[in-house]
Amino acid sequence: MYRYFLALRYLINRPINLLGTIGIMLGVWSLIVVVSIFSGYLGAVEEHLRSSTADLSVIEPPETIPFEILQRAIEADENVLACSPRLLWYGLLHPFGARVKSEVIGQTGAVVSETNFVSVIGIDPELDRRVTGFHGWLTEVIDEEMRVANPDRPLDDRADLPSMVISTSRMQREAASIGDRIRLTTGQSSGSRQSESLNFINATFALSGSFSSSYAGFDSLNVFVHIDRMREMLKSPAGSTNEIAIKLLDPDKAEETALRLTNTLKVLDPRMRFTSVRTWKQSNFIQLSSIEHQRSLMQLVLFVIMIVAAFLMYTTLSMMVTEKTGDIGILTAMGGSPLGVSSVFLACGLVIALVGSVLGVVTGCLSSIYLDDFNQWLKASFEIDLFPTRIYNLKSVPYSLDPLWMLIVSAIALMVGLVVSGLPAWRAARLDPLQSLRRD
Amino acid sequence: MSQPILQAESVIKNFRLGKEEISVLKGVDLSLQSGEMLALLGTSGAGKSTLLHVLGLLDPPSKGRILYEGQEVQNLPAQQRARLRHQKIGFVFQFYHLIPELSALQNVKLGSMMDISLGAWWKRRGELDARARELLQLVGLEHRLRHRPAELSGGERQRVAIARALIANPKLILADEPTGNLDSHTADDVLELLFRINQERGISFLLVTHNEELAARCHRIVRLKDGVVIGEELPAQTGASQES
Repeated sequence: MYRYFLALRYLINRPINLLGTIGIMLGVWSLIVVVSIFSGYLGAVEEHLRSSTADLSVIEPPETIPFEILQRAIEADENVLACSPRLLWYGLLHPFGARVKSEVIGQTGAVVSETNFVSVIGIDPELDRRVTGFHGWLTEVIDEEMRVANPDRPLDDRADLPSMVISTSRMQREAASIGDRIRLTTGQSSGSRQSESLNFINATFALSGSFSSSYAGFDSLNVFVHIDRMREMLKSPAGSTNEIAIKLLDPDKAEETALRLTNTLKVLDPRMRFTSVRTWKQSNFIQLSSIEHQRSLMQLVLFVIMIVAAFLMYTTLSMMVTEKTGDIGILTAMGGSPLGVSSVFLACGLVIALVGSVLGVVTGCLSSIYLDDFNQWLKASFEIDLFPTRIYNLKSVPYSLDPLWMLIVSAIALMVGLVVSGLPAWRAARLDPLQSLRRD
Repeated sequence: MSQPILQAESVIKNFRLGKEEISVLKGVDLSLQSGEMLALLGTSGAGKSTLLHVLGLLDPPSKGRILYEGQEVQNLPAQQRARLRHQKIGFVFQFYHLIPELSALQNVKLGSMMDISLGAWWKRRGELDARARELLQLVGLEHRLRHRPAELSGGERQRVAIARALIANPKLILADEPTGNLDSHTADDVLELLFRINQERGISFLLVTHNEELAARCHRIVRLKDGVVIGEELPAQTGASQES
């Protein structure tokens, strides 16, 4: 009993022990807050990518097989709800709208840099509506002057010109209006491999409105046109497509469905040289894994704080053992065994680590939950923006608290406490009680 | 004659100082009867404190035997020696050795916590608290229960140390110069207390001292010089000393 009693008394009466507790608390706090923000951000990006990418995509479907046949084969799968053809190409948008050229990107809301080099996505709006969120992105646009007149038919020709839908941010940046003419320059190779030549294609479109997918990275790089107009521009045969977007009934079974569809397509085209079926995660693999990697790196860096806390704790406990040499002597004389005496200091270390961990978890959770409010207050009061949400196209500071991670961090903190208090405790156990009694 | 509570047989204690081995105790024989108050008298460096530490199982002898109630104990494992110290021996030191973070009452209660589990202590906490208060009352400190050592005088600190030594109901108290750090008036008060405890409770005392007056009040005096017992005397029979 004496070891708990004394450990508690030593802890209460020695404010220096607070240093160790604060150190552990800070270590746990930072590991929880930073990782929760990273996880939240990763979750938000995943959500954005998820919303802008089809559940499954057939990349470079067999050219020789018409879309209708591929569609029947794909939609025959038990987990496929619908599919839609896409023709993806690239092009350069010529300046349009009423934008003053010297305007600096990044200070007017369009923070994500939007280049004029874009990915042009040719879609069939009717089919696409069942597969991706495109229809929803059109109605998301708040400003009526930038919204397409008829979201059910957004890419119908306007005044004999094919229509183009661009992102709301691009439309704002260009100060463009519905009906503006947009010139696009693209190219297409022709001839054999030995004598390949590039043919430039110039096309003019009419701006029919804007979309907002809530993922700035996607919005900044893509424009939409009707797939038939794309085919005409590229002189591709009717029914040609270079990507098929697929909507699944159960998105959680994307990988197994992708495998099944690969086999289905192999039956249709046994050569299937360039065709692949990718899940939305595979399509965005690099982006997702880069954030994941940053999160892991950050965890590693933050563990350094824990090591600093451990040193702090070791120093305070070691000092305590030195100061308490006399007490160790009298405890031994009163019947304390070396093990019992050492456990007084071990208990001190554990309590420091436990209190530090609990405080770290509690403050970490509260900080994560109220970080956005705090950020807003800082912004309003001092114009300091800790987490500029516009850069990440987020409405608030994201966070995601993972109970398992909190458990792991607490367990590590406790282990660190046990290890660093073990050494001073061992030293206490080895002290000669007589020497300590003679000290005075 | 009843069995002695403590016996030392041919106890030798050597210390190594660099390459040199110094013999501090050179074959000490000693016995202490139950309820006896024995003074171990000797000049500085005679080996009194070393003998007390060896007898109190804080330091093992280099050779020889230590017996508690007839049982040989010098070779017991550390855990059992610790238990024996707690159950049978109380210590009083010249410098009190109270825990500064604890109040007088807590210092005394600490003695009752050494060999008890948390659960058992919780069940008996009322009883143990009452006992600690009773002992502090016995030593005349019932009004200083909440005071920490730094807030007590030297005499009061030694009284707290005596109360702490008594809490586990020991049969023997080993006191190393218990009045050595006190002024004469306070020392007399503390000695009175020790004699009273000896008489009222029948607890044996081994008092290490170099104070002849104090030794003269004990039942028996053992003189130690250069690590050897040079004589024993019964204070009532002054002059009837027996050279060994």
